[in-house]
Amino acid sequence: MSILAVDNLEVSARIGTARIPVVSGLGFTLQRGSVLGVVGESGAGKSMIGRAIAQILPQGFSVTGGLSFLGQDLIGMPAEQRRMLLGRDIAFVPQEPLSGLNPVLTIGAQIDEHLARLGIGAKRARRDYALDMLNAVRLPRPADILGKYAHQLSGGMCQRVLIAMAFASRPKLLIADEPTTALDVTTQSRIVELIRDLQRSEGTSVIFITHDLRLAADISDQVLVLYAGRLAEYGPAKEIFADAAHPYTRCLQLSNPSVHASRIGLYSLPDRMPGISALGSIAGCLFGPRCPNVIDACREKTPRAVSVGEGHDVACIRSDLTARIDPPLRQAIDKKPYGASLLTVESVSKTFSMTSGIFRRTNFQAVRNINFTLQQNEFVGIVGESGSGKSTVARLLCGLETATEGKLVLAGRDVTGGDKVSRQHQRAHIQMVFQDPQSALNPRRSVASIITQAMEAAGQATWRDRLAKAEALLHEVGLPSDAALRFPSELSGGQKQRVNIARALCRAPEILVADEIVSGLDVSVQAQLLNLLLRLRSERSFSMVLISHDLAVVRYLCDRVFVMHKGEFVEAGPTADVFDHPQHPYTESLLAAVPRDFVADAARRDRRNGISPADEIV
Amino acid sequence: MLRSVFRSSRVLIGLTIVGILVVCAIFAPLIAPHDPNEQNLVSILLPPAWSEGGDPSFLLGTDSLGRDVLSRLIFGARVAMTVAVLASLGAMIVGAVLAYIAGYFGGRIDALIGRAVDVWMSFPPVILSLILMVGLGVGLRNVIFAIVAVDWTRFCRVIRSEVLVVRRKDYIAAAQLMGFSHPRVIVKEIVPATLPLLITLLSMEMGIAVIVEAILSFVGMSVSANTPAWGQMVADARQTIYEAPWNLFLPIFAIFLAVLGFNILGDGLRRTLDVRLIARGRT
Repeated sequence: MSILAVDNLEVSARIGTARIPVVSGLGFTLQRGSVLGVVGESGAGKSMIGRAIAQILPQGFSVTGGLSFLGQDLIGMPAEQRRMLLGRDIAFVPQEPLSGLNPVLTIGAQIDEHLARLGIGAKRARRDYALDMLNAVRLPRPADILGKYAHQLSGGMCQRVLIAMAFASRPKLLIADEPTTALDVTTQSRIVELIRDLQRSEGTSVIFITHDLRLAADISDQVLVLYAGRLAEYGPAKEIFADAAHPYTRCLQLSNPSVHASRIGLYSLPDRMPGISALGSIAGCLFGPRCPNVIDACREKTPRAVSVGEGHDVACIRSDLTARIDPPLRQAIDKKPYGASLLTVESVSKTFSMTSGIFRRTNFQAVRNINFTLQQNEFVGIVGESGSGKSTVARLLCGLETATEGKLVLAGRDVTGGDKVSRQHQRAHIQMVFQDPQSALNPRRSVASIITQAMEAAGQATWRDRLAKAEALLHEVGLPSDAALRFPSELSGGQKQRVNIARALCRAPEILVADEIVSGLDVSVQAQLLNLLLRLRSERSFSMVLISHDLAVVRYLCDRVFVMHKGEFVEAGPTADVFDHPQHPYTESLLAAVPRDFVADAARRDRRNGISPADEIV
Repeated sequence: MLRSVFRSSRVLIGLTIVGILVVCAIFAPLIAPHDPNEQNLVSILLPPAWSEGGDPSFLLGTDSLGRDVLSRLIFGARVAMTVAVLASLGAMIVGAVLAYIAGYFGGRIDALIGRAVDVWMSFPPVILSLILMVGLGVGLRNVIFAIVAVDWTRFCRVIRSEVLVVRRKDYIAAAQLMGFSHPRVIVKEIVPATLPLLITLLSMEMGIAVIVEAILSFVGMSVSANTPAWGQMVADARQTIYEAPWNLFLPIFAIFLAVLGFNILGDGLRRTLDVRLIARGRT
């Protein structure tokens, strides 16, 4: 029996006097006990599904169409009745676990309140029930946790508490909106596993909303791929992953780097998904402007979803050609021979001293005894979870922090001391690309002024010189030259990150330190940036230290990798060796956390059969 | 941004009120119908011209020495506006400079400046300014000095916390990596980010300065007795409060109007310049 039936769902936003459908013509049914993965990049409208079900839409949005839960019409139902369903029969797990919990109430009080609202158990029995719940989500020492506040728990623990609360009422439908995005890699996989286990044992149906196609394919029975609020493809998860029928699904897959295969080039889709205001101006298929298979017929009318297999629908008129979209050859943008050694880090440590209370000082060793060298044109990666000290290494290399022990030799000069001359030396050779472009670009400066800040610092440059330089750099990072006079607030996330890179390149540094530069970006934008970095290396030659929690990104870009754990390098070596044959248990646990990779599995199978497309490329 | 500032009705109302007061202050000798200190002992305590027994040549009546109230109000605006502008600018410069240094460099300098502000703020502000005035003696320059000495802490504390927020942004680190010196980072990256707050605080402080000056002149601790000031007029009118209540109300109303003008202006500027409020309004 179907739990949720969605038929021709439309969510529209009022902009001025016009009504623009943000989600349109969406239909699917969710069977009891099955998991539906909803996949799309930001702006695809995937969160709108959960919001439409709960009827918590932003102002000016409205829902039409059929939305029935166990045969009851959710849209026409009185608000009071819906409120009874929500939280009891339909539960939610939010994206940000910390904001999902009340900071001023203990966990115990919140669970108690939740149970009281649901009418579960008498007052006495509720505490025992709460303990059982926390046990079920495998939280250690649940009795202690009941007395704690949200800020005393880690993000993963908060998410477990929220999952426990969501399952407390034995809901029939669980809606998880990017439940792992804000968490660390290893925590992510445990949370996904937990949801999956509870789902199986309780027979709950789940709508799992995520931007990660690989994760969705791993956890779901069915996958729904959304593009600009329209169904692109819907079908069995494994089939969609192994044999995508919509060009967007195929491109998403090809633009997502894999931990296991480094040699395939990444497909980078041009441009980005149209925003709400641009929806009206695209004729026919909304994916058309970015589609590699587009023909004139695509622009004539919006394609209908047609069946291409058992329960597999796709909204594309040329879906038979999708499988022919190939990843680009990697050699075209690939590596340059290494040059001389540029940077040597010798047993460097960094200890922060913090005041706690009035007189007590505690020392915290963020980085412990790390060693490495970097050659010209070499890309090395540093991977680890948050709090492992990766970012401190980045700041040490750039001279934003001074090492407390050890030695840093840059281009033949000892720069450990952090005096003025060595700082200048560092700045001439190393530049940093910052993690969060929102915070890294001064909102009050124009793009040209940001990019050429180094010229401003050096003095003498006229505005005309700076503008010319800015346009040249913008061209290099693939932005139009009219972006020079715009402000960061007028750019998208990916464009901002390009500006960020352009600024670092302005002084033509020999080393770039890149701290999580693609985290938080959509897969297709990420692929554009990764390929951009490879292209820039082949054009102007520089080395890079890439700091990331994303193993696949490191595998794609870097030849060598260092695995960092609690301030130390626990494993180092060529990326392929480390990721294919991890020696240290921590590296193993990082790798185990990555969702299974059907494409790589398939590629490996091919290789065994003697066909090895990957090897032909390089 | 500038255009949206002048589209805000609060800013326009505030600017109108403040503008009228400033014009009065600057052109006082041209506008005022009488010499503010000219005594006219035959016509003391005249009511405003429109009420019974009023004299049309003394539009708002006269005080107990027969001086023209309107002229004294107009001349009183001179003291009020001078103090408002100069004292709050002074307090802003002292407070903001210390705040930028404390917030940017942090550590010991920050602790030192922070403690100084704490100690300073533990004195009741009015008492502190009275003590300063007793020590320094009356006069416009000393009033301004006293207000700066008392109120710089307000700027220092508020701006420091804003600097701490901006300081943590990556674009500050980026500017350092580009080779900007510390003073340059402060001037080019941090000051522009705190400018809206600075302007808002400044206009609020102007209202406060008007009140403090009125308090000081009320107790005779501001400008000398032959310079008309609103606080002084309130003090003078206490004797004759039953015979001539308007003599009390009119200067109070002038103070009220000035403070209201600065506050509305400040509020309007805050609403139009504060990036966070703008962002919220747009989405």
